[in-house]
Amino acid sequence: MTVEPVRAGSSLHRLGVVCGLCAGAWLGAAEAPTKLVTIGISPFVITLGMVMGVFVARWTLPMMLKGSGYVFSDLRQKPHLIVWAVIAGMLWAVANTLTVFAVRNVGLSIAFPLWNTNSLVGLFWGWLFFKELRGSGAKGWFKVLGGTAAILLGASVLAYATTQQSAYTSGKATLGILAALTAGLLWGTMYIPYRKAYISGMNPLSFVTIFTFGELGATLALGGIFEHGLGNLFHEFSATRPVLFWLFLGGFCWVIGDLFQQYAAKYVGIGRGIPLSNTNQLWGLAWGALVFGEFAGLSTFARELVTGGSLLMIAGAVAIATAVAPASELASWKLAMERECSRYELNKQQVEAAMRGEEDQNAQKNGRRWWDVLVLLAAVGIFIALAWGTHGRSIELNLPWMLVLLAATTVCLVIGGTLLWRRTKFS
Amino acid sequence: MIRSRMVSILTDSQLWAPVLILVLGTALLICLR
Repeated sequence: MTVEPVRAGSSLHRLGVVCGLCAGAWLGAAEAPTKLVTIGISPFVITLGMVMGVFVARWTLPMMLKGSGYVFSDLRQKPHLIVWAVIAGMLWAVANTLTVFAVRNVGLSIAFPLWNTNSLVGLFWGWLFFKELRGSGAKGWFKVLGGTAAILLGASVLAYATTQQSAYTSGKATLGILAALTAGLLWGTMYIPYRKAYISGMNPLSFVTIFTFGELGATLALGGIFEHGLGNLFHEFSATRPVLFWLFLGGFCWVIGDLFQQYAAKYVGIGRGIPLSNTNQLWGLAWGALVFGEFAGLSTFARELVTGGSLLMIAGAVAIATAVAPASELASWKLAMERECSRYELNKQQVEAAMRGEEDQNAQKNGRRWWDVLVLLAAVGIFIALAWGTHGRSIELNLPWMLVLLAATTVCLVIGGTLLWRRTKFS
Repeated sequence: MIRSRMVSILTDSQLWAPVLILVLGTALLICLR
């Protein structure tokens, strides 16, 4: 391999790492609006509210950034990926529902580390199916696997230190543990379609517009099953009206984080991108501790654990960020890409260009449609309508810290967005 | 064309890992219910 592709690979690595870290910031920030939602609403109904907000955002952002013509053209060129995107959305919804049972049966402090193993599952699939880390050498393996383990361990320590242990051991503990582990397995497996889409040259913005159908459809179906019918589900859902704005806002922030995660999966692979975006636990912790004062009553030992867990996660992220894929690993990625091209009769040159972050000029030329403006206006209208008459839990906020964190997440958005635009035009 | 694409999708060995795990997860949810 010549020097140029290696240099280009290194710049894409930096871009992917920045996207992974920005994903962590925004996925963590997405937890903040949901804290204003009054408790006492079924978790299935809350999930449905958030997924509806996600659905709106997953259509609005791609229309704004690239236009519906671009998205549809991309989908037409790789129609087989529609199946994969829907499966990925369904995997997300089933995993999310499993976490409800896991938390109920064994508590968050036990359940969280178990389902957070999803990054290890993703790393395994990345290695098995997409030849990630092949040819990266012992040092590369050590950095990525060690970094992932450090992030996982750090997140577990944070969960342990900041959640109250259940006072009793439920008889259904085994099922709870099984539910948490299966959620991790499902989420880790969800990254197979992500990577498959990107080594086929699909744009992440196109992928999420289809992903959201699987996500919303499965969430509706599961909500209907667990709330004894869709009629009951919607009846309960109407009770969320006063807080629906916060759920939609949380969903919107989630989609921004998710998009960064998708770009990270595209440019550094799932083995590196997913653990980096799993640093969202750190941001969620910062919002909880600094803005909502959730940890005021924590013991000194718990505070030390929080500090230790956070440092561990940062060390893990640094290790992964410095694990640039060498030329031998990039050659393995290319083999995985060639498999997709020959299997699904894709244009190899176009796919290679897309993987390098180069714009598809033909698709971009006819990207915008007049109705894109209508989609944008409809989304803005929905948010304004929901904001009307909204109220939240009366909760004490630390305004200065809230402004600091808002500024930090906005800076992440600006830096990540600018880098993506300059290097890839959101390709 | 559509038929050949469907065959390519269904005979893709990588498809069956997510499908199988999705079925397993759904089955577990039904048990939990």
